[in-house]
Amino acid sequence: MASNMTTYKDLTPAPQLDKKTLNKMVWMSCQLQASFNYERMQACGWLWSILPGLKKIHTNKEDLAASMSHNLDFFNTHPFLVTFVMGIVLSMEQQKTDISTIRAVRVAAMGPLGGIGDSLFWFTLVPITAGICAPMAIEGNIAGPILFFIITFGVEMALRYWLMYWSYSLGTSAIGALTKNAKEFTRAASILGVFIVGALISNFGGGTKLAMEFAIKGTTEPLNIQAKLDTILPTMIPFALTMLCFWLIKKKNFTPVKCILVLLAIGIVGAAIGVWDGGNTAYNALISVPWHS
Amino acid sequence: MDIIQIILLAVLTFIIAIDQFSLTEIISRPIINCTLIGLILGDMKTGLMLGGTYELAMVGNMPVGGAQPPNAILGGIVAMVFAVKSGLGINAAIGACMIFALFGQYVVTLTFTIMSGFMAKADKAAANADPKGIRNVNLISMCILGGLFAALAVAAYVGGTAAQEPLNELQKNASWIMGGLSAAGGMMRFVGFAILLKIMLSNDLWGFLLAGFGASIVIGASPVGSATLIILAFIGFAIAFYDYQLNVKIKENAGNGNGGMTDGI
Repeated sequence: MASNMTTYKDLTPAPQLDKKTLNKMVWMSCQLQASFNYERMQACGWLWSILPGLKKIHTNKEDLAASMSHNLDFFNTHPFLVTFVMGIVLSMEQQKTDISTIRAVRVAAMGPLGGIGDSLFWFTLVPITAGICAPMAIEGNIAGPILFFIITFGVEMALRYWLMYWSYSLGTSAIGALTKNAKEFTRAASILGVFIVGALISNFGGGTKLAMEFAIKGTTEPLNIQAKLDTILPTMIPFALTMLCFWLIKKKNFTPVKCILVLLAIGIVGAAIGVWDGGNTAYNALISVPWHS
Repeated sequence: MDIIQIILLAVLTFIIAIDQFSLTEIISRPIINCTLIGLILGDMKTGLMLGGTYELAMVGNMPVGGAQPPNAILGGIVAMVFAVKSGLGINAAIGACMIFALFGQYVVTLTFTIMSGFMAKADKAAANADPKGIRNVNLISMCILGGLFAALAVAAYVGGTAAQEPLNELQKNASWIMGGLSAAGGMMRFVGFAILLKIMLSNDLWGFLLAGFGASIVIGASPVGSATLIILAFIGFAIAFYDYQLNVKIKENAGNGNGGMTDGI
């Protein structure tokens, strides 16, 4: 992130990653959320799981540093489908594609997978498997949990393997053709990336809401401030806060940590006076205020 | 015997706590984790029954899209401890574990907040091309989460159902801090977005940011809201690919421009 390099120093494509390294990264991908956090979500776990490949690809230390830095950008996708993004990104790293292109393609690939994975896994496979295995367990049958593990973990690992190999070969064959017009490709990838980030602000940021309600005499419906704001522009607060961070980082040279502290203060002071919706953490304001019950 | 049980319980909880986000993400499901805890406490039958019951209750209450339900992982573990050690019935045990499930969620919120601060350390390690530094940040995070969960599980074991009261008291007085952390936690991703934009958002691309934002509001509120991001990936791809083809054509034509006179146009 600190690095401002846009291209790698050593532009000779690295040799294809061998099966052993790819397999290792499939298993490492299980640690994607090891250091999950609110600022960059899976970024650090993502970098950890692709490190075996990056170390093989970038033999030049400066390039490795640049690659590790940009792979610490905000990252969030479905944990079981992440190897799809890994394969594509690794194939681009291997061909020493422009850093900004890799960045943009990564953002474009990670976003949509979240929804697909949730519907596939948590809303379909797990409920069905639980429906079969839980009654067995309730009857005291040890096969219940064992079967549950075999089915769900089996599907999970099969997906991880298959997606890694499929997307790595897909990336290797597709990227070369597109990067012939490198400048145009980078611009197009950035358009897609920026477009998706715009979507993420509203899609991932929607939890940031006001919880202020005013009782109005003579009416039964209290006045809900968030509902009023939504009639002007839904998710305007997430957008405003993103712009605030963007401005602080770009114009005021704030470090990300400083931005986090600013948001932490906004969040906690806001909760003390009952302004914010705590999501699924219901809370009582520190000071009793008329708009928060 | 008891001290061995406590150690085993702590170790197993430590692993299960990590497993809820990493490792297999399956062992931490109640149907499996309750059975394992039952094995340690010497009552696997209760483990199977409680695990199966809790698993069915949890279907439809999945950790989706970064939202954390009151933590069912710790809930299952503590319900097991209460069912076996305090002799509560299965439904009573699930009821009594709720305050622990809430604190499990607090611990998750706290860890995710603390680890946001650690990203600066990760940035430094990356800038020095130091893979060990990246590994350490991940290991520290797993240890914080596992350690706090293990402490809560041991508290339930040692304190029994009486341990609920001080936790209830704490929850009453400190809930605004956890509410604030939860609200602030939800905002921190905006820093991540800002970092992405700092690099990708050149001045001529602002329109695409606004278009993506606007489109996701509309589709997100529609009946197909759960598919918002994939639909937008298609639309975004169309725009980007069109731009690519257009610019390649312009470049090619500009290249022909010098000799264009001979074409007779």
